[in-house]
Amino acid sequence: MERVLNKAIKIKEHLNEQYLEVKKDDFKDACVYLYQQRHAILRLMFAADERQIDETFKIYAVFSIPGIDKFFIIVLSVRDNVFTFPSITKEIPAAHWYEREIRDMFGIIPEGHPDLRRLVFHDSFPENSYPLRKDWHISDTDLKEWGEGIKQKVPYKFMEVEGEGIYEIPVGPVHAGIIEPGYFRFSAVGETIFFLEPRLFYTHKGTEKHFEGMSFFDGVRLSERISGASSFSHSDAYCMAVERMAGLEITEKAKAVRTLLLEIERLYNHMGDIGNLCAGTGLQVGYAKGAIIKERIMQLNERLTASRYLRGVNVIGGVKEDVLLKADDILSTVDIVTKKYKELMNLLNGSISHIERLENIGVLSEDIALRLGATGVTARASGINDDIRKAHPHLLYDRLEFESHTMARGDVFARMMVRAEEAECSISIINALIENRYKGELTVEVKGIPPYSSAFGYTETPRGSVFYWVMSDKNGMPLRVKLRSPSYCNWPAVPFAVHGNFVPDFPLCNKSFELSYSGCDM
Amino acid sequence: MIKEILKNLAGRKNAIAIPDLLTMPSSEAPNFVNLHKSVDRIFCRSLRIRLVDAGSCNACEWECTALTNPIYDIQRFGIDFVASPRHADVLLGTGPVSRQMELALKKTYLAIPEPRLVIACGDCAIDGGIYRGSYAVANGVANVIPVDCYIPGCPPTPMQIISGILRLIESLH
Repeated sequence: MERVLNKAIKIKEHLNEQYLEVKKDDFKDACVYLYQQRHAILRLMFAADERQIDETFKIYAVFSIPGIDKFFIIVLSVRDNVFTFPSITKEIPAAHWYEREIRDMFGIIPEGHPDLRRLVFHDSFPENSYPLRKDWHISDTDLKEWGEGIKQKVPYKFMEVEGEGIYEIPVGPVHAGIIEPGYFRFSAVGETIFFLEPRLFYTHKGTEKHFEGMSFFDGVRLSERISGASSFSHSDAYCMAVERMAGLEITEKAKAVRTLLLEIERLYNHMGDIGNLCAGTGLQVGYAKGAIIKERIMQLNERLTASRYLRGVNVIGGVKEDVLLKADDILSTVDIVTKKYKELMNLLNGSISHIERLENIGVLSEDIALRLGATGVTARASGINDDIRKAHPHLLYDRLEFESHTMARGDVFARMMVRAEEAECSISIINALIENRYKGELTVEVKGIPPYSSAFGYTETPRGSVFYWVMSDKNGMPLRVKLRSPSYCNWPAVPFAVHGNFVPDFPLCNKSFELSYSGCDM
Repeated sequence: MIKEILKNLAGRKNAIAIPDLLTMPSSEAPNFVNLHKSVDRIFCRSLRIRLVDAGSCNACEWECTALTNPIYDIQRFGIDFVASPRHADVLLGTGPVSRQMELALKKTYLAIPEPRLVIACGDCAIDGGIYRGSYAVANGVANVIPVDCYIPGCPPTPMQIISGILRLIESLH
């Protein structure tokens, strides 16, 4: 099998990225070799319209092997006349959505894919229309009809479950609470969920195409608005990608500020999420306490950066605000938060009715999590020790001492406990970061973006790993910006976790995954 | 207890205690208390909001959730977020309105009994914000349903949302 990789042509090596071009016949073998023999994780998979360079579309499959800080990127060229590539979904189930997305966005068909229904676009979007191709146009009538949603141009067939006593419960896209839109169709037997099919992408905003219409520098603002509660991690990964592409090394101080704010973001998310779980079990006092802790951190954010969501701090080449100057404020808030958080956890652990609701529901097995490529808290609560901060150290993470926490049981309780342990870990990282002094200016000068170059940016958001891949055209403008949010990997795992649970437990299961619809839908 | 009530009546103690964490500019403070009175007068102590996320990044939703936390505690003014549009007086729309949410937004609007009001909350909801011009968005709530009140901000803070609701109520005089 290793021969397959030897046959590949190394086209580029840039920092920790190794690009290996393969022939169409070898594509599948190369991917399967990495996945099965080297236990590599499929980080993301995407296509790019590079016809202006060499008349081809490119398919990129990005793998990383545990224990090696390197990305192995299998590249396949697809010529204009045959819009197909061999599907790897049957061997690597994590590729399922990526391949369907490539079909929707580029019209390149993954041959042998078991499910070729549309993923991103809904019924009223015109047939044979592929937005990420450079020569794509859409007429005003088509746009209008797409919005009206009445004409079903490509009908979507939901999976059907047949049998005695099975009935369907459709829910959405507008839900009862203050949450994002998505459609769920349950097939239930009595109270028990037999099968769940989510239909998402209601909030698809054409983000990747929108990136192409603005400069890399303006893109930072857009990257902050992809998933509200992960604003900082998204913009951090985006800036990192552009900086790596431009060959910039940011200063130690900028790295410290970014690391600090990433951890503050993780802290407020985890605090809020632990509280929100209480809303799911009806423990109002826990919900209220969680919400107050979160609000304290949000107000700290506002004092530090003038934005409750840490927006407007990241720029290409560094950061705008030296939040380390306000170390006293951070320390005193974190102290109060630590105290209140301990109170909250004591309350929760002492509340049997709360814990009982969380145990053994929404179980996601390690095997399924691994096969679907789950990431973040979802993966770690199912026993997969994968944390981008450890696997591919960036910023100051290689210098900091911290552990990544895992739990094997994979239920809602495990996801809560992993969050709790990570929150404690974030608190110690924040304290450790503030103790030191850091050299350098806030920003480094950006000389310009080199033409036709590309790079990855990545970090660990509160929900899991986020990836950006950017490529410039001949004028240094974006040719392609690919973003992969953690929720995109974790959504396919939800139907597996809720199978066999009661319908009324679904909100609790869903909440424990804490998925962003907007980040997933792009 | 009677003694306590009498003491409170005599002392004209402010009925709405403001929590420590509630930070607001001093100019906002009177509005905050006024909100209570306005809701009492115009909506008979009950203003019900149905929130529809039409493609927002979820930051606006988190701020609306924050409104119901013990610090802002918007319920004490008689304002609340409801599950069904049939129970609502106001539709609060967020996000630039993605094309795939247009129909759902329209249907939710039509499901609210008349007279109904619409708030466009956040920069995206006003004119598409950063997403303006993307193929997949309708550039703001007003392009799909009539809007009565705009709340700018990306995202607007809970205080800004409260004063936006107050402005809407005042405009009804």
